[in-house]
Amino acid sequence: MYSTELVVQTAISGVMIGVLYALMALGITFIYSIMRMINWAMGEFYMIGSYLQYMLVAWLLGPDLWWLAILLSTAGVFVIGLVVQWGLIKPIFKKPPETRDDYATVVTLALLLFLRSVATGLAGPNQFKPGTNLSIVMVGPLPMDGARFAAFLFALVALAVFYLVLRYTWYGLALRATSQSRVGVQTAGIDVLAVDRVAFGIGVALAGLAGALLAPVFLVFPTNGMITTVKGFEIVVIGGLGSIPGALIAGVLLGLIESFGAAFVDSAYQNIYGFLLVLAILVLRPTGLFGERGREA
Amino acid sequence: MGVPIMRKLGFLVAAALLAGAPVITPVMAQDIGIGLDIPLSAPGDATGGQLIRRGAEIGIDMANVSGGALGKKFKLFVTDSQSTPAMGVANYRRLVSEDKVVAVTGFFHSSVALGINEVAKEMGIPTLSVQASASDITAKHYDIAFRTHAVDPVRVAAWMDFIKKKGFKRISMIAETTDYGIGLSDETIAQNKSGNFGLEIQKVTVDNKATDFTPQLLQIKAFKPDLVLNIAVGQPVDLIMDQATTIGLLPATPMLISYDAPTRPQYWKLHPKNGDGIYFIAYYSPKAKLSDLGEAFAKAYKAKYNEDPVYGALNGFGAIMIFQQAIKAANSTDPKALIKALEDGKFKSWPDATVTFPRADGVYWHNWVPPVLILQYTKPDQDWKEATVVVSYSK
Repeated sequence: MYSTELVVQTAISGVMIGVLYALMALGITFIYSIMRMINWAMGEFYMIGSYLQYMLVAWLLGPDLWWLAILLSTAGVFVIGLVVQWGLIKPIFKKPPETRDDYATVVTLALLLFLRSVATGLAGPNQFKPGTNLSIVMVGPLPMDGARFAAFLFALVALAVFYLVLRYTWYGLALRATSQSRVGVQTAGIDVLAVDRVAFGIGVALAGLAGALLAPVFLVFPTNGMITTVKGFEIVVIGGLGSIPGALIAGVLLGLIESFGAAFVDSAYQNIYGFLLVLAILVLRPTGLFGERGREA
Repeated sequence: MGVPIMRKLGFLVAAALLAGAPVITPVMAQDIGIGLDIPLSAPGDATGGQLIRRGAEIGIDMANVSGGALGKKFKLFVTDSQSTPAMGVANYRRLVSEDKVVAVTGFFHSSVALGINEVAKEMGIPTLSVQASASDITAKHYDIAFRTHAVDPVRVAAWMDFIKKKGFKRISMIAETTDYGIGLSDETIAQNKSGNFGLEIQKVTVDNKATDFTPQLLQIKAFKPDLVLNIAVGQPVDLIMDQATTIGLLPATPMLISYDAPTRPQYWKLHPKNGDGIYFIAYYSPKAKLSDLGEAFAKAYKAKYNEDPVYGALNGFGAIMIFQQAIKAANSTDPKALIKALEDGKFKSWPDATVTFPRADGVYWHNWVPPVLILQYTKPDQDWKEATVVVSYSK
């Protein structure tokens, strides 16, 4: 018989990790909704964010300014995203539309391998952990690493800011319009390639933010973005490709299913429960919980 | 119309080059190739792999300085298993078929060693596991399979001895779902039964690719164990430690780590606040005497890396020394002659003891087993060489 305390602790743990997964999924789904391409190298931008966080804390700012390091790391990944979009992604959009998917897949997969190899070459295979000045906090009955709780709060704030910018600013309007019709916004005089650049930068910055936030919790090493990326794609399928509320709700759902499955069913299959949910969604609602069915002529 | 196939191929080639894919250079006629298959990236224990590589590379240098064998120099071919059996098997095939190596060593992860041995028994090139402990690696009695590492029954016997000494009654095992984790946890349950230890044992298994072990650790905390056995490899070891500390399981409940990860230089950087008090398995005490070869290696290692060698590096080095002596004794690199020389020979390696690979019973077939120690850190930032020896166990 399981105690109520264990059930509540497991639920809190699931929600906490789910919100952080959602941050990653949001980057993937946002880039897709604007540019209609999947960035397979999202995990590597997560990895870059975590390394930037480590370097800033260890060499420049110190553990007391961990929060400033998170902002700088996110900004750093945003700038790297702009450069990558300009150098590697933008040329793809000068090709005929039917070849874009092929090019985008190959280019982002190449980028994934390149960034991972560079990280291994420069930093070696060892793990690193950036320090923080945060102590353990109680979230209900669950003791939680201060860094993880801060990551949860940061993620909630980031999601709220993201929503408000998208909903209430002129640039957000341009982004939403681009997601609805790339041709339509061009007729309204909007430079769609400039929108792409910012969208790509924001999307990878969300992954970089997740990497920086989770660096003290899940450690820093060349392939640390791999598992989070997998979760991100699972969430995108569950929530619906291109749906922002879907990413948040599916993230929490995935976190809860993994936590309860690991605690009360069989802990060995923690990563399998999410896939089972993905399979169920694909069978019952192929567009995801909040995705829209595409229109065909 | 899709993208022309050649253009796609061009992209893929560029991607492979960008990824730093190794350029295949088959062994030259004047070289003797030795394969080294180790984890160099996640989910493998890349640090463990890197330490073995350091030792093997110095071993190759020292073997060549001492004249190589059969008038030829040795050359090392390194491959990354990523702890994945499929990758390890592909690496073994490439090492044998394309690089023409005469022996393959390394094998940090048991699953990889087990997978490779299934192919190796057909292809015939001998393997020497230096840090993979699953019983079946040698218990299957394959002619090609050799090992210089502590096997599951010995390691478990050491911690059962420790548990008995401490008077622990309730034991939780958090074990990864690999041949390593399952092998050690099942062996613990078996020895508890066969040795009438009367322990209450909780077994919690985890995917080694997972990063959040909080749900499993909450289960363990609810069990109220006297000791937690951390039977994971690589990043999960550290994540389990940190997350156990967060929920208050550590340091209230002692934890024993199932291998020598805490001897690595990065340990105190990762665990400045929760590394003290941890028990861990080790296979070598710095207080023990090294052989002349071991002393020379330790000196070369210190000069190159500015730190003392740990077990993985020593064993990586030892594998090269053993192959050099076996090839000299066989006067050939023919696989059958080499296997015969390994079985019949007495070899000098890093320990101050003779290394042999007899056709012995059970798991001890072709297996030289180092003594197993259980050490404990008793103060923060302690040098592992100063850690307290709690148990010293020899087969």
